[in-house]
Amino acid sequence: MTALEIDDKTVAVRDLNADIPGLRHIIEHAAHFLPSQGPIEVFVHHNTLHAFESMSFHDAVKAGYQRYGAEPYLTEQEYRRLYASGRITDADLEAAVKDDLGERCNEQINGLGTLTEICFAMLRHEVHVGPDAELRWIVAETDALERFREKATHINRTRMITAAKKWLHNTDPETETLKAEGILARYGRNSSKWSNAQWESFTLHVLWRICLRGLESFQPTSQQHSFVRPRDLLLHVFGEDTDKNVHEVLIRFCGAFVDQGYSDWVLPNRDQGFFEAFLALYSVPSPGTERWLRRLHEELVTLSKNNATAEESIEESLRELGINDTDLEEFIIQTLLSLRGWAGMIWQLESGVDWVVHSIPKGSLIGLLAVQLILEKHAIRYLGDEIFGEVFSIERILQTARERITEPKLLNIERRAFLLFQVAQMLGWTPLELLQLTESDWHELSKEVEDFSAIRRRKVFHEAYERKYRHAALDAFAVHTARRRKVESPFLSERPGFQIVTCIDDREESFRRHLEEVAPTCQTLGAAGFFAVAMYYRGAADGFYKPLCPAVIMPDHYVQEDVGYTFEGVHQGRMELRRRLGLVSRVFHTRSRTFFGGIFAGIVGSLATVPLVARVLFPHLTAQIRRRFSSLLQPPPVTKLQLERYADDPGPTNGHIGYSTDEMAAVVVRLLQDIGVTQAADFSRMFVVCGHGSSSLNNPHESAYCCGACAGKRGGPNARAFAQMANDWRVRVKVAAKGVVIPDDTVFVGAYHNTCDDSVVYYDLDRLPASHRDDFEAARESIEEARRRNAHERCRRFDSAPLSLSSNDALRHVEARAQDISQARPEYNHATNALCIVGRRDWTRGLFLDRRAFLTSYDPSIDDEDHSILLRILSAAIPVCAGINLEYYFSCVDYSKYGSGSKLPHNIVSLLGVMEGTSSDLRTGLYRQMVEIHEPMRITFVIESTPQVMLSIMERNAAIGQLIRNDWAHLAVIDPTTSKIEVFSGTGFHPYEVGPPKLSEVDSSLECYQDSREHLPFFSVRETEVTQ
Amino acid sequence: MTTETILQFLGLVVVASPAILLAALGLPLLAGIKLSEGSQARLTKASVVFALLAAIAILGLMLVTGLRNVPIELGNWVSIEDGHEHFHFHIKFVFDRLSVPFAILSLVLCGTVGAFASVYLHRENGYRRFFFLYALFLLGMVVSSLAGTIETLFFGWELVGLSSALLVAYFHERPGPVRNGLRVWSTYRIADAAFLIAALTMHHLTGAGDFDGLMGSGPWPNGVANIGSWQALVIGLLLLLAAAGKSGMVPFSGWLPRAMEGPTPSSAVFYGALSVHLGTYLLLRVSPLLDVSLPLRIIVIVLGLVSAIFGTLASRVQNDVKNALAFASLTQVGIITIEIGLGLQYIALIHMIGHACLRTLQLLRAPSVLRDHQMLEDAVGEHLTGDEVNPPKVSTAFELWMYRFALQRGNLDAILDDWIVRPFRKTFEYADSLERRWTDFLSGDNSRESDRVPPYSDSLEDVV
Repeated sequence: MTALEIDDKTVAVRDLNADIPGLRHIIEHAAHFLPSQGPIEVFVHHNTLHAFESMSFHDAVKAGYQRYGAEPYLTEQEYRRLYASGRITDADLEAAVKDDLGERCNEQINGLGTLTEICFAMLRHEVHVGPDAELRWIVAETDALERFREKATHINRTRMITAAKKWLHNTDPETETLKAEGILARYGRNSSKWSNAQWESFTLHVLWRICLRGLESFQPTSQQHSFVRPRDLLLHVFGEDTDKNVHEVLIRFCGAFVDQGYSDWVLPNRDQGFFEAFLALYSVPSPGTERWLRRLHEELVTLSKNNATAEESIEESLRELGINDTDLEEFIIQTLLSLRGWAGMIWQLESGVDWVVHSIPKGSLIGLLAVQLILEKHAIRYLGDEIFGEVFSIERILQTARERITEPKLLNIERRAFLLFQVAQMLGWTPLELLQLTESDWHELSKEVEDFSAIRRRKVFHEAYERKYRHAALDAFAVHTARRRKVESPFLSERPGFQIVTCIDDREESFRRHLEEVAPTCQTLGAAGFFAVAMYYRGAADGFYKPLCPAVIMPDHYVQEDVGYTFEGVHQGRMELRRRLGLVSRVFHTRSRTFFGGIFAGIVGSLATVPLVARVLFPHLTAQIRRRFSSLLQPPPVTKLQLERYADDPGPTNGHIGYSTDEMAAVVVRLLQDIGVTQAADFSRMFVVCGHGSSSLNNPHESAYCCGACAGKRGGPNARAFAQMANDWRVRVKVAAKGVVIPDDTVFVGAYHNTCDDSVVYYDLDRLPASHRDDFEAARESIEEARRRNAHERCRRFDSAPLSLSSNDALRHVEARAQDISQARPEYNHATNALCIVGRRDWTRGLFLDRRAFLTSYDPSIDDEDHSILLRILSAAIPVCAGINLEYYFSCVDYSKYGSGSKLPHNIVSLLGVMEGTSSDLRTGLYRQMVEIHEPMRITFVIESTPQVMLSIMERNAAIGQLIRNDWAHLAVIDPTTSKIEVFSGTGFHPYEVGPPKLSEVDSSLECYQDSREHLPFFSVRETEVTQ
Repeated sequence: MTTETILQFLGLVVVASPAILLAALGLPLLAGIKLSEGSQARLTKASVVFALLAAIAILGLMLVTGLRNVPIELGNWVSIEDGHEHFHFHIKFVFDRLSVPFAILSLVLCGTVGAFASVYLHRENGYRRFFFLYALFLLGMVVSSLAGTIETLFFGWELVGLSSALLVAYFHERPGPVRNGLRVWSTYRIADAAFLIAALTMHHLTGAGDFDGLMGSGPWPNGVANIGSWQALVIGLLLLLAAAGKSGMVPFSGWLPRAMEGPTPSSAVFYGALSVHLGTYLLLRVSPLLDVSLPLRIIVIVLGLVSAIFGTLASRVQNDVKNALAFASLTQVGIITIEIGLGLQYIALIHMIGHACLRTLQLLRAPSVLRDHQMLEDAVGEHLTGDEVNPPKVSTAFELWMYRFALQRGNLDAILDDWIVRPFRKTFEYADSLERRWTDFLSGDNSRESDRVPPYSDSLEDVV
């Protein structure tokens, strides 16, 4: 080998290497546009458009529309429906138009009216210009040119007809306007004999004619389609979708590649990466392969002979597909987005999620792209073969396609004219006024009307829609706080009867409200549902440690549930039994799909009728029987947490499990400071700490229903651990040293609220001192009643629950929902959420919030000068609540693009996601049944603080600052002592003017919601009289 | 009242109540009356319960009296007497040891799935459509399981096929389900064509479509076919082709996973449980034919074996629940076919019933797979899969080939496309080109205006 050759090779290699980092960089950049939802087992709500958070909300939704083709807001029809029903009012609409136009709102347009008037008219009355075909049909077939639009006012009609009469009188009948369509000939020369209907028709015809002529000189900007992906070009020209074939192969392979253990056979060579595994598998000749894949085998063999990497293969494909450098990035983004669910999951697995049992190597996304492009080439070549009947190169196929692009001639002038024609009727523009416009006037008018496009109209509608609710809420707060100042707290003089701290979750709002109504002397508090106990937890019946804390935190501590010493033997026995039954049922389930196992399973399969029929027809009874039997399998009733650590450093093994007392004290102080219970006098004798979660059957998205602060798991153990820590006298001493004195007679009890069946269970009652027996029983009784009422309030939202249910039946109903395998809506989760309140419960207590508000306790009076408590509360609360809210927003405005479609055809794939049917993209986001009652609105944070403090917090926490400044969430601060509210808009806070007080007072929550399934207004519920 | 009239009455109830349900759900749809979800669910429930009770009563009476074959005649629909040639289309239902259990199975599973669907599809736009198709399917199942003549069986068979295809395409707003629905429908047409030819041949041979005529008079399964071995082979092969299409056996297996596009309950009952067994039911019904023709028997066994092996291979690589269950069903259908081939009719029947129930349960609980998996791992106390359990290893060429074969599902769809669809299409495209040439010649110009209409594209958003 000569030196020269070697040189050439190294040069070539260097060249390639020089290109590769760029490519990798572009792909990683493109990956940001992919959905960032990880495996479904841990469902973390997050902003669907997280990648666009640096833009303002309205720009981002528009960018989302361009990028994903997903709806930015509700549809215009939907807003119009809401407008008709009074949910959007004229006043809000007007304010929203003014906001939208800013300084231009009073600008006169050619003396025809102000810009606001024009826009407002277009909002109040539908101005619809559909596709060209529809426009043709409307003009030719409907009475659009015969009759005024239904909504045109009488005044405008008379005005226009009168003006038309006058105009006709003064005009030479031979003018072009009249001649053009032979208008006069239509109605007869003698205009005095025309009927009213004829005059109306005449007026409209003249108007239409004038609009058309006015815009005649308009030069339509020809819209040149640009197709970045060859697939789009071919689809446009030939109507054939190459993605159909490509995706079918890719979906199957992606599923096998990321499979977490569903299939019995593991994909060969999966550890080597996506591209390598594909190469190895598809290099094998397979007789009878689909036609379009017949030549794939050769190409792959060549690739593996040359030891080509994924990057090299991508570069070659790009060359062959003729993608030039300017389009490169866009092409890669669009290609990856065409199968975004799978691509996103692969990216998540390789870059973020590290807890899956089958990990995938880095670079898999690049591999996916390489494979996708290879397949795309084959699909295109095949399409060429089919269409031209001979073998063409890709370049030639695409060239031919480009030559055949036909741009349909759009009715640009007519569209604009029709738009103006409609607006003119609404505003009563007369022919004379219009005829005076010069050419540039026409252009200006048309431009303004055009600029107020459908998306902008929807934006304004949306702002008005949100504004109505937001203002109602702020007004309600103003009035309610004023009222609260006059109400004497039932436990002002003495200690509260009992206290309960729950998660800030909106579903606990009603639970707390009912509890306060049932037991007026109780105090309820809200804190993030992991209660400052960030841990890996393993229950007695669990196989593994799982994190119970917000997904952003990596816990250091491990906590395990142990069985009482007495029951150790029983526990061991049951564990072994569980293990054996588990193995048997695994064998049964996997083998029932095989040949011989299937014979056996088939013969005894008739026995399956019993559970089948029972579970579908009698879910409640079946659940009871199952519970009874499973109690023989579950760990014994008495367990305890292994919470205290003896070794120095935390870890999952004996001795290292748990917290040191110092750490426990830090946890306790942290939570108590957060909720503002720090003085000895603040504590009651009974302090319930209540975590929450949700259980439902046949629900792959179950995790989304559980506690977000516990990484989509159930938060009971956190509550239990916290109670145990706070009850420890050694911890209390250390807590006292930090300035939080817990009275000796205060006892903490951990509890768990299941938000689906509204059950509440308590932990470690065996350790409850006899002195507190009565306190606990009293609290428990109140909680029992509260959960019944809570179930009753929830049932009003379920169509299948009659409104006449009693509260006991309501409890049965929600229990049955949780146990029914056919139930697609076990509960409505966070649907309808719209508010987050941070502050003392005192001033919102008794305010009926309709389960729509996250409630976070915070007492500004104990915060330090830096407001560090508020900062740490908000650092979690604002991103989390806004994330939940925005995920609901997007899944609701477009459930098929941003959400995961309908739940009905969902099919679990690879144990980490769902597809629709058996071959679709991986579906991310929320499904339709989850969001159907949601009102898509950005969340409003109402914080008991001052503008200065909030500005400083926005400064100090970039994430909060970005969300608020870019309008992803609304922010208001309130001073409950004066009821003054300031709202953040644009750059700073502005005082909010409270509207007329309209907050009705009622005696109980029941009065607020009875007999209604709709969204409800705010109410003040009077404090229940304390009866001794 | 004699036992006979009671049986006649009960038999009528079994057949009539699904028919009444179909009318009760369908006629309001035609008239534009919108029944509420509740009333549709109640109607469905009533109909299934009546039919089921009647069927159980028949079973009881038959057991008590020892009757083994109860025919119910509804007369001739068509009857042409013309000298020595005559034809009649006889509507007749038979209650025997085969049809009664199968009818009861159909009713139990349909009833359960109906109850499931009435909750699952709550607030769904297509609720009415679903239940109408459900009624169609139910009627089809009952008619085909009780059919006493091949025409009646064909009638029920068609209803099942039609409702299945429409249910696959239930989510008609997405292209995938519609495409797959069409695929299912076309595959069924092949099966139907074979069936129809078999029916004609039967008429030709025996002058009537009654199974009695073909199978002799003995009650099932003791009938003795009274036709010749060659005739049995021809009819048998045609019916086998029909059965293979309906049951998704090789080479028609491609439609089975595609059919899982519909809502979960319909996939459960239609493809996991009932529809897929209709083919084997047909084979059971005509099983006396196998006794007269050994080659037919061998072909049946081979087809069953191939299907079973193919199903078990394909199901092992599927990584999603519904696909895996679809291929698992295929395995069982194959085994049932083998059992029929071996003459184990009763075992085949039991197997069929057991498999249908089990599969329905598994499909309805398909969304629980993730949770079940976690529970199992918790119970066992260790990960059942993962990099540690299945460490990466080097695969042999054979393993690769096998995996590829299974992942590609044996390329069965591609082979069908190549050998049946493509020639079919090419023929007609050729005919089309001939016609075009001829019309161009006649008009002296390009004759087809539709060719020159440009594709219409228009954004729905008027101006962004």
